[in-house]
Amino acid sequence: MTGRYAFILAGGVGSRLCLLSERRAKPAVPFGGKYRIIDFTLSNCVNSGIFDIGVLTQYRPTSLNQHIGIGRPWDLDRTHGGVQLLQPAPSAAASDWYQGTADAIYQNLMHLKRRRVDEVLILSGDHVYKMDYNVLYAFHRSNRAQLTVAVTEVPEAEVSQFGILETEPNGHVTAFKEKPRGLEQGRLASMGVYLFDRDALIRWLVEDAAIASSSHDFGKDVLPRLVARGEGVFAYRFPDYWQDVGTLDSYYQANLAFLSDTPPLDLHDPAWVMHTQSADRPPARFAAGAHVRDSIVPNGCSIAGEVSNSVLFPGVAVARGAVVRDSIVMHDTVVGPGAIVDRAIVDKEAHVGAEARVGHGEEHPPNRACPEHLSSGLVVVGKRARLPEGIVIGRNARIGASVVEGDFTASVPAGGVVDGPESMH
Amino acid sequence: MRDVMALILSGGGGERLGVLSAERAVSALPFGGKYRVIDFPLSNCCHSGIESVGVLAQHAPASLNDHIGAGRAWDLDRRLGGVMILQPYQTRSHAGWYRGTADAVTQNWSILEERRPDRVLVLSGDHVYRMDYRALFLAHEQHGAAVTLAVTRVPAAQSRRFGMVTMDGSGRVRTLEEKPERTSATHASMGIYVFEFGVLGEMLRSRPVDLVLDVLRPLVESGERVYAHEFSGFWEDIGTVGSFYAANLELVQPEPRLQLLDARWPILTRDEERPAVVVGGHAGIERSLVANGCRIDGRVESSILFPGVRVARGAEVVDSVVMADTVIEAGARVRRAVLDKYVRVGEGAQVGLGDAAGPPDLHWLAGLVLVGKDAWIPPGGRVERPASIGVGGRYEDFRDGALTAGSVVGNRRWFEELR
Repeated sequence: MTGRYAFILAGGVGSRLCLLSERRAKPAVPFGGKYRIIDFTLSNCVNSGIFDIGVLTQYRPTSLNQHIGIGRPWDLDRTHGGVQLLQPAPSAAASDWYQGTADAIYQNLMHLKRRRVDEVLILSGDHVYKMDYNVLYAFHRSNRAQLTVAVTEVPEAEVSQFGILETEPNGHVTAFKEKPRGLEQGRLASMGVYLFDRDALIRWLVEDAAIASSSHDFGKDVLPRLVARGEGVFAYRFPDYWQDVGTLDSYYQANLAFLSDTPPLDLHDPAWVMHTQSADRPPARFAAGAHVRDSIVPNGCSIAGEVSNSVLFPGVAVARGAVVRDSIVMHDTVVGPGAIVDRAIVDKEAHVGAEARVGHGEEHPPNRACPEHLSSGLVVVGKRARLPEGIVIGRNARIGASVVEGDFTASVPAGGVVDGPESMH
Repeated sequence: MRDVMALILSGGGGERLGVLSAERAVSALPFGGKYRVIDFPLSNCCHSGIESVGVLAQHAPASLNDHIGAGRAWDLDRRLGGVMILQPYQTRSHAGWYRGTADAVTQNWSILEERRPDRVLVLSGDHVYRMDYRALFLAHEQHGAAVTLAVTRVPAAQSRRFGMVTMDGSGRVRTLEEKPERTSATHASMGIYVFEFGVLGEMLRSRPVDLVLDVLRPLVESGERVYAHEFSGFWEDIGTVGSFYAANLELVQPEPRLQLLDARWPILTRDEERPAVVVGGHAGIERSLVANGCRIDGRVESSILFPGVRVARGAEVVDSVVMADTVIEAGARVRRAVLDKYVRVGEGAQVGLGDAAGPPDLHWLAGLVLVGKDAWIPPGGRVERPASIGVGGRYEDFRDGALTAGSVVGNRRWFEELR
């Protein structure tokens, strides 16, 4: 048996996630009360028996480097294989930064040189799903495909955000259109999960690298070209939950979906554990007078107030008399006494002053700075922001990372913006 | 600290802990919602800069092997030093269970000789506390002591559980009495000793059995420089059901004397990967610790819940300690009970009814219901307290669905069911 090897593309800028991915790559964005988005892909790999993985980073890799490290939580700290973080580096042969997804793999082809694999699995670190890649391998081999693309049906409204495929009944792909305007192509979207024949991959990447007009992207360039030429490209229809948490709204919805009685993924399944790097924290502590329902509360939290319909991350403290409602609150954020956090996403290590109101009022004009991403009424508070006591923050407001009490002159109106120090990056 | 080796004694089967220690050492007993008792001394070692640790295990060593492994969780998986689990072993000339604490050290003396520390720190694996051992070494050095013991003040009524120590004004130990019924001494030895390597080695040559009776006491009586160092923080010997229960419940006091939430001195443990706690729409949780992996839709009050516990809608858990993956089904009520792992409390069952003191020979139960691993309480079943249900207890153990106060049900072996 030959081995298996996977590349995970984890360079995602995630610009539609606004503040959440300002200082971290999208795969490092916290999700589901204790995970990072990339944990799902990494865990899928090890649960599928793939223990040899290269993670390609580019945009703000620090948080990912820290998170993945030598791969201990995933049993990827191995003598043979394991996980390798592949950052772009200037070299004589290649340009330098990764141009597109295809270029990123092209620049790392040397990692395939000595690996005895027939196929190469290429994944994205941006998605939340549970998938046994063995099924994909079996599908690929039984079709004698050169490339198998995993696909899923997406809602009509979202078709324009994905690469959309048309297939014959046997799965053979006949058309591919990246981010189409209309619905003519159907609703089968590429999940960014590709299984390539190793030799075909190398051939096609070398070919693409030589095309000056190409943006060197799988979705924009390589796939359309292969499909147009009638290469052996097959689509594997993935039947289960798959979520691209691309926008603030979808990020919010996807997190809160885990509060339902029938969550989209069973995170408690002992046969398919989602692994993550977690600090040693004591169990969640519920004080007298705490009132928590319909929520996710991990170890390290300390709750004396009211929490409902919310996802908390480790180390969050909710003081007596405080209310957290319909919100996502990340690691080690403190919600002060009597404060109310309503429909907000609060990043790590923020401090909400006593009696503050985050997400106040009925009006919600879109955010002044990013109207296209922040218009559904959510308030976003950046990492380490300090909100003064008694401050009132309207809906669709954006509070930058690392702002301090003195940066606020008055309450923040709906759609308002308070920016933090730019130089902190 | 390269010049120190710690030895953690995890001897006792802890007979007084009944079903809780039927299949595990006391030091492997789950504590505080996600820890094992031995995590406390191991974490103290880690944070005090001790890099070389031996764990002397006799009773149910598998439970410790499993938990400690190569010592990763405590950064004790090292090339130099690190943690070793030292079990009784056979050689061609000798096969010996550990006859006592001193004998356990003697039988492993060759390992100490190999590592050649200047000092040996003897600890117990059965104690819950947070202590910086560096303070102890400092005192030891300042006194130029041969041995230094850590002592703590205990109520007079507790003296018969401990070795009681009296000191002079400089801290030098004058007397050491083992478990006296009555004494004027106010301080108990915590079972924490710093020995000069040579002093300990010399004493072990006569093949002593017990560290206190055969090593420490003779040293005190012969006028050696034995000093006491007072520790005033929270410290509990998990030697009885009552102390186990009380130390757990201490954690949910409004101002607990034992703090777990401290980023500078975290208690480290071998952590399983479990999702965050899911709190349902009908839950009410107060004054409790709830670990990752729990799913709570009922009422939880003044209790400690370990990973993976499920409390169904309408169920109630009050004043209890519930270990990993135990399920409390809808409408069941659990009060003043310690439920071990994988217990199932059936729908509408009631555990911990009444408040009878129970017969005198069951005082060790401290008025609680103990339920052993894998036991099933039938739906609608009633268990009065105090009572003890053995490992793997089944419906047949109940008469008319009930166990009256003072009932003790023995352990079952799991494979008996397979016949």
